[in-house]
Amino acid sequence: MPKIKKKRVGFVLDMTPLVDIAFLLLTFFMFTAKFKSEAEAEQKFTIQRPVASADTSKIPEADVAMIKIGIDTVYNDTAYYYSLSNEMTRENVYRSVDGLTPEQQEKALIKVANIEMLEQLVAKTRTENLKTQFAIDADKSIRYKYIEDLMNVMQKYNATEFNFVTDKRGG
Amino acid sequence: MAGGGQLGGDGGKQQKRGSLATVRKKKKRVGFVLDMTPLVDIAFLLLTFFMFTTTMAQPQVMEMSIPPERQEQVDVKESELMTLIVRGDGKLFYKLGSETARGVAMEDLRTLAINKNLEKRNALITALKVSEDVEYGVVITVLDELNLAEVEITNQIVADGDKRERKFALVPMTEEDKIEIEGL
Repeated sequence: MPKIKKKRVGFVLDMTPLVDIAFLLLTFFMFTAKFKSEAEAEQKFTIQRPVASADTSKIPEADVAMIKIGIDTVYNDTAYYYSLSNEMTRENVYRSVDGLTPEQQEKALIKVANIEMLEQLVAKTRTENLKTQFAIDADKSIRYKYIEDLMNVMQKYNATEFNFVTDKRGG
Repeated sequence: MAGGGQLGGDGGKQQKRGSLATVRKKKKRVGFVLDMTPLVDIAFLLLTFFMFTTTMAQPQVMEMSIPPERQEQVDVKESELMTLIVRGDGKLFYKLGSETARGVAMEDLRTLAINKNLEKRNALITALKVSEDVEYGVVITVLDELNLAEVEITNQIVADGDKRERKFALVPMTEEDKIEIEGL
């Protein structure tokens, strides 16, 4: 009987395999980690991306102007959201656009109030940093009108090459 | 375990005790135990941190280019024009030149595009007209199908020793188009 008691009190578990696996995963995540951008962290809505067949082209890493079109679940309206990955460009562009409050200028992702503001943003981005590539990340259930309007704006400011962000088609 | 046990008697007991002691010493050296709990704690803390902050696979993109704004009109031969129209409810229509529009299922779009393009070689111009009310996802599916068809067309044309030139345009929808496909 005393032996059994001892076993219960001094219960020793060999944690070596656990530690092995934990560190294996840890190193994996450390090496593959790509941190969420500020804009992604600020995003309050989710975007259901449209599906397209597998493609090798990936979203560019630097100097991306991401135009998101999402449906706000709270107010249930569709709106444009604008974000720039290059902080320098972002600062300069946001400062020179009319109608942005100081708090909004501090943010990475801003809600575009109207089409005129979108025009200004695209125009200022083009003049500020010509290397910027545009990407359109829109919800698949929005009306095409939003895309058409956006493309007209981009065409006006000669941003004729851009990307549609999609999800890989499953199966 | 203890080899000394064989001797038996009082002496045996003493021997046993002694041998036990030596065995214990050995055990301490061989079965070296380190409390790994804090290590595991930290490891898992970091693990969860990296798991939550990381964004896996970057989303893929579909490249698109539109012509710069130009006012001049470009005349095209009607026989070399294929118009694809997407109606507000997502239904797809096509027409060649000034023919009447015919409906086409999304599944047949790829074969249609391949056949018509191979007939006319590089001359065929594809114009895509999309109604404002179509869901964006449908437009992407259409573009995707056309891209997939393009692969096949390019393969065929290159196999014949030619170069492929894609002629594709997004064209705004007119009122006439709307009326034309309304009842179909």
